[in-house]
Parts: sequence; structure tokens; C-alpha cells
Amino acid sequence: MATRHRLVITGEEHSVVFDDAAGTVAIDDGEPLGLDAAGAVPGVFTLLIEGRPRRAYVSRRGNGFEVIVEGRRFLVGPAAAGGRARAGLGGKDRPGEVTAPLAGVVIEVRVAVGDHVEAGQALLVIEAMKMQNELQAPVAGTVTATHCQAGGRVEQGALVLEYEPDAG
Amino acid sequence: MFKRILLANRGEIALRVQRTCRELGIETVAVYSEPDRHQLHVRDADLAVPIGPGPSSESYLVIDKIIDAARRTGAEAIHPGYGFLSENPRFADACETAGIAFIGPPAAAMRALGDKVSARKLMEQAGVPVVPGANDIDPSDLARARAEAERIGFPLLVKAAAGGGGRGIRVVERLDDLEAAMRASGAEAASSFGDATIFLERYIQRSRHVEVQIMADAHGEVRAYGERECSVQRRHQKLTEEAPSVAVDAALRRRMCDAAIAAARSCGYRNAGTVEFLLDDRGEFYFLEVNARLQVEHPVTELVYGVDLVRQQLLVAAGEPLPPHTRPLEPYGWAIEARINGEDPYQNFMPSVGLVTQVEAPLGPGTRFDTMLCDGLDVPVFYDSLLGKLIVWAETRELALRRMRRALLDLVIAGVETNIPFHLALLDHPDYVSGAVDTGWLEREFAMPDAGAGDPRAETALIAAALAASMTSAAANGATPAASTNEWVRTNRLRALEQRAGAGGGRGWRRGTGS
Repeated sequence: MATRHRLVITGEEHSVVFDDAAGTVAIDDGEPLGLDAAGAVPGVFTLLIEGRPRRAYVSRRGNGFEVIVEGRRFLVGPAAAGGRARAGLGGKDRPGEVTAPLAGVVIEVRVAVGDHVEAGQALLVIEAMKMQNELQAPVAGTVTATHCQAGGRVEQGALVLEYEPDAG
Repeated sequence: MFKRILLANRGEIALRVQRTCRELGIETVAVYSEPDRHQLHVRDADLAVPIGPGPSSESYLVIDKIIDAARRTGAEAIHPGYGFLSENPRFADACETAGIAFIGPPAAAMRALGDKVSARKLMEQAGVPVVPGANDIDPSDLARARAEAERIGFPLLVKAAAGGGGRGIRVVERLDDLEAAMRASGAEAASSFGDATIFLERYIQRSRHVEVQIMADAHGEVRAYGERECSVQRRHQKLTEEAPSVAVDAALRRRMCDAAIAAARSCGYRNAGTVEFLLDDRGEFYFLEVNARLQVEHPVTELVYGVDLVRQQLLVAAGEPLPPHTRPLEPYGWAIEARINGEDPYQNFMPSVGLVTQVEAPLGPGTRFDTMLCDGLDVPVFYDSLLGKLIVWAETRELALRRMRRALLDLVIAGVETNIPFHLALLDHPDYVSGAVDTGWLEREFAMPDAGAGDPRAETALIAAALAASMTSAAANGATPAASTNEWVRTNRLRALEQRAGAGGGRGWRRGTGS
């Protein structure tokens, strides 16, 4: 039985097809590669891809996975259909929403509901690990709601502000 | 020797100091802020005292709370680590007043070195080379500044006498720009530090940051443990350090060590310290400043000199003489440190905090990992981004670089972004491999490889994620009563149970079930 998965990694969508009978895997319908995933359980995978051992550390992250391979950490999410792409899973904010790109403490909220903002204007400042990070308006618009306050903590991907983009 | 000391710090350095104490049979008192309750240095302490909420201004920086904790627990001495209160002379004074030994230099030495201009003058008198410059300039005294600037030559730096952290510094390329730079620097200095006094210094371009480790006891012995090369910096933050330096031969090392010893003697220095120098491309070196504490990067010195610097700090603070060294003070082999920070090198080094779900430390010959990390640690947002330091030692620099790559590949930190990919990319850069770097090199020459296509690791990650997805959906589609409890949840529960029961001797179960 062949199973097909559509996944997003580093901002690009790819297909992965497992052919259990043939014992192969194909990426983006390319040449099938021999795959031995015997005994793989969540946690550490030791895969044999074309006979070469590859170690991957896999854990759940939201509706996707965190996978660490040779020092690099990837966030692999399901392809766009359904499910909202969050900052941190390679996706961008949905229009009208601003999410926290990192967890931290809100130092300052520079806008209030009803304010009109220009693209690139600073909306709020989040501090993490003694570094301040400014969140900017992606496009011009009017702030319709704020979901955080100075001194409060936000998690990565949390909705912090909503706005109505300017028409046109 | 002390029977009990208090660690006025957190993270990997608290753990580092504590390990030596435990080896020497010295009891430790940990202090911790609320979010640090479950840190390893608290777990491994003999006594632990809460000192308030997360922000360091309400906990680790409050002198009275630390002194009070030491008094109540009967600690005879305080080790300040680095950062926080380590270079605060008022803290050293407070320890003295309370009758507690401060494991660091005397407050008077800190004060003499803390002011950049007084330190400069002190070094000039002691015969330590300083960057050609002019001290004590009133920002309104343009005539004198012009005369001095022409003597020093361009480009030069205008610096705030009382400054720090890069504030109040201006680069001046030609005489016409001097006045504006003086005015800006003086104004910034006045508003930031309450003192508008400035000084001028020749701007030495493409220099290395090379520093010498010193250790001084109360019996007149001042010792230098050679140099560390710390030129790979981003925004003045060191990212990797090594000992020795490719730019320093035995003769230059002797001269730099002698200068560092003279610097220490000039101010009655005691305990561990670091004398920072600029080293230019002609092999001339100039005094920069003294870091009056144990440095983050001290382990590379420990590895090539075969010493435990923390043990020596404790001995010196207890009034004992430094132990005699058994072989010449020359570095043996090569050591490199990689600072593992919680930041995303693919997103302009944006900080990353959160729950660390899994840690696997590299093992094997010549490999040391000083870290605060453990499975289940929630990295707090309040402190700096240093998660750990990976340090390797090998017979030669080339072998040490190879060992570093191997160790980085064996290091697994799940749950937060780290700069491990940065360190791996650094090892691919020919300038870094040959050691042809200066303090501006990283920002001038280095770029992270493309995060997207072309990284062969992405293929493995994709296959692993797809495999995990198929396992998850298989579990979710199953008709068992636990259908909603997918494989992941059950595995995590099993894991939690095993951890609680302490079964399986730690981490082995993960691999065991997969074999």
C-alpha cells in the first residue's frame, strides 16, 4: 500500500510517498529510495535510507513535528489545506492578525484599538533573554483588538493583535 | 578552606562552580528566582533559598537578598559567577561588611579597573601598552582635542570616560568630523552616565580580541595562564573561543603574559581575572580592559593548562597560596568552546525560549559540555540566551576542529531553537578553519547558508516527519477505546511514568524500544 503525505518544511511544500510493499520512499515523486524504518517509534528514529543510517529526533509540535537531524532543528507542518499556518511552522500570519514570533515578556504596546498604522510601524515590543524585539505592522491598517498588555507574558504563535487592513 | 559557600548566580556557571565545591567537600547554598526553582544547581545544592520573582532586578541583582540568604544559611563565602553582581564593588563591600568572603578581587581593584580612564592611566604607569590616545577631554575643549587628534592620527574613536556597552562611542574618520562626534558622545555620556568627560583613542582596525587569564593570591603570587582567542563576535558578543591563539607564538605569549601580570600587580588584584588586549595584524598588542571575574570561556584555559580555575579561586579567597604548578606554564594541545545559545541562526539570531523536551549531551574523548539544560527544563525569558558551552580538547587545532564538528553533531536539544547550525556552518568557512579572523570578520564575511533547499538534512527530516504522521494517523484511526489517545500521547505518558519510577536507568529506554 502506498501512502502519500504532503508536508511543509522550511517554507516549501513537498510530497512524501511510502511504498510499504517495495520498501521505498519517494520525495516529490522522484526516484524511490530504499527505506528501512523497522521498529521506529516516536522519539528517536534510526532510518536506513539507501542503506545509510540517518538519525532523527521527532516530537509533536502543534499539528506538525519538530525533527532534529545532525544539529539542525526543522519544524515540519502539514500542507496548507485546513489548519492555520503559525509563525514558527514556516507560515506567515493570516491577514488581519499579528502573532508573537517568539515567547517573551511584552515590554510595551505602542498602539491602541482604533489607531491607524502604516506598514512597518512598531506595534509592540517583546523582550526575551535580555533582547528586545519589535513587532511591526505587516501592512497599513486600523487596530481592531489587542490581546496582550505590557508586563504580560506571551507564548510563541500567540495572537497578540488584530487589525483591519486598509482597502485597496 | 570554606565549609559552605553561597552561589550568587544561576544557569551553567552556578552548576560549574558547584561541581568543584562538591568534589572538594564544600557545601553549597543555591539562591533561585521563582522560574528557576527546578534548575539543576538548585537540585544539587545542600541548601536552597528563594530570592524573589523572575526579573533579575528583583532577585539575582538584589544585594540585600543575597547577603541575607548567606547570613541565614551560615555561608562563609559567596561566589558571584559572571554577570549579575560579579563586578559590582558595592556587592564586594557588602560581603566584607557582613563578614563573608567575596570570591573575587578586592572592591578597590574593581573600582580602579571599572573606570576606563583610570584603568588606562594605571596601565600607562605600569608599563602596559595601551592604545595611543588622550585622556580627560572636556567635550567643549575643541582646541586641545584637535591637537591630540592630530597626534594620534585617524581614524580614531571618541569614547565616554564613564561609558560601557558601546554607548557614547563614535568613529571619526577625519578632523572635520571631530567636533560633531565629541558633542554627540559627550551628550550621550552626560545623559547615560551623568559625566560628559570623553577620551580619544586610535581606532585599530582589523584587530583580534586576545585575552590573558590571570590568577593572583594574597601572598604575592600572580600567574598568567596564557591567552584565549575570542575574535569571533557578533554585536560584541563572543560566540566561540579557543586557547591558544593562532596569532600568538611563544615569544608574544611571554610578552602578553608579562603585561597581564603587570596589570594585575598595578591595582593589587587578587583571585581570577582576565586582561583583554587588542592584537593588531603586526603583532602589537594594547590593553583593553580587565574583566574582574571568572569568564564564560574559562574552560578552554582549564583544558590546555590542566587546571581547575574555580578550585584556585576558592583557595585564593580562603587566603591560601596558589598551588605550585608542576610543569611549565605553556598550553598543551588545543581547546575550543562553542557557546550554545537559545537563538535561531536562520532568523537573524532571534531568541528562542520554551520547554526543552530532550537533551542529549555529546560524549567521548576530549568532550565537555557545561550546561544548565535537562529534559523538561522551561528556559526562562528573563536571562541571557546561553544554554550551555560545548568545549573540546585535542592534540592540535585541526583535530580540535574535527572533534568540535563531531561533538556538535552528537548534541541534541529539542524544544527550542539553538545556534548549533551556526557553529557547524562556521566550521565550513575557510577563514575560520585557518584562523584568519578579526573582531569584525563574522559580521563582515560570514553568512548562514540558505535555510531552504539544498540542505540534505531536510530530506531526512521530511521522511521522519512523514513516518511520524503515518504512525499518528494509524493510531488515531484505530478502533480501540483509546482511539483518541494517539501514539504520541501514550508514549509520553509511558515516558512520564518511567521517569517517575526512575525505571530503566535514565535515557536508555528510548533506544531500547526502538531496537
